[in-house]
Amino acid sequence: MFLKLIGSILVITASSLLGFIISSDYARRPSQLRTIKTMLQVFENEIYFMSSILHEALEKAGKAGDNEAALIFTRASENMRKGTFSSTERAWAEAVKYCMPRTALDKEDEEILVSFGKILGTTDIEGQVKNIRLLISHLEIQEKKAEESRKRNEALFRNLGILGGFAIVIILF
Amino acid sequence: MSGIDLIFKIAAIGIIVAVLNQVLIRSGREEQAMMTTLAGIVVVLMIIANEIAKLFNTIKTLFQF
Repeated sequence: MFLKLIGSILVITASSLLGFIISSDYARRPSQLRTIKTMLQVFENEIYFMSSILHEALEKAGKAGDNEAALIFTRASENMRKGTFSSTERAWAEAVKYCMPRTALDKEDEEILVSFGKILGTTDIEGQVKNIRLLISHLEIQEKKAEESRKRNEALFRNLGILGGFAIVIILF
Repeated sequence: MSGIDLIFKIAAIGIIVAVLNQVLIRSGREEQAMMTTLAGIVVVLMIIANEIAKLFNTIKTLFQF
C-alpha cells in the first residue's frame, strides 16, 4: 500500500517536472532573444565607436548579457583568441552549435545566427554595422513569434505534465 | 478487483479525460483533444471488456441458453 503511494507520487512528480521543463523552454526563449539583441547593440558600439578587435568586442558583448545566450559570445571570442579555427565564420558557427543545447533557442534562430557569422569580420566597419542591424531585425521577428508561441504553449505543457502524471497513476494504480 | 473500485477508477479516468479535453481545446489543439477522448474511451473499454464477457456469460446461464 505504502509502496504504491510512493510509486504514484514519484510518477506524478516526474511527469509534472517534465511538463515544467518543456514549458520553461518556451518561456525563456523570448527573453534570451532579447538579451542577444542587447549584446548585439553593445557589440555594434564596440566596433563602431571604439574600433575594438573582433574577439575583444565579442567578449565585452558577452559580459553585457545575463543569461545562457551570453555563452555564445564568450565562447566565440575564446575560439577566435585561441585561433583553433581557420576562419571567423567557423569560430562563430562552432560557438553557436556548442551553446545551442544549453539555450532555449530554436532551429530557425540557430540558422539565423550561423548566417550572421558569414559576414562577421569580413567587411569594413560600415558593412559590419549593416550586418548587425540586419541580424537585429531578424531577431525581432523571431522574438515576436516566440512571444506568441510562449503564450500558447507555456500553460499548456505545464498542465499537460501534471494531468498526464495523474492519468498514468490512475490507469496503472 | 471489486466492483466499487472499478467504478471509482472509471470515474477518475472520465474526469481526467474531460479536463485534458478542455485544456487542449482551450489552447487550440482540437485534433489532440479528440485523440485523448478516443484514447480514454479505448482504455475504459479495455478495462470493461472482461466484465462484459462475464455479464454475458451470466445472462446466458440465467436464461439457460
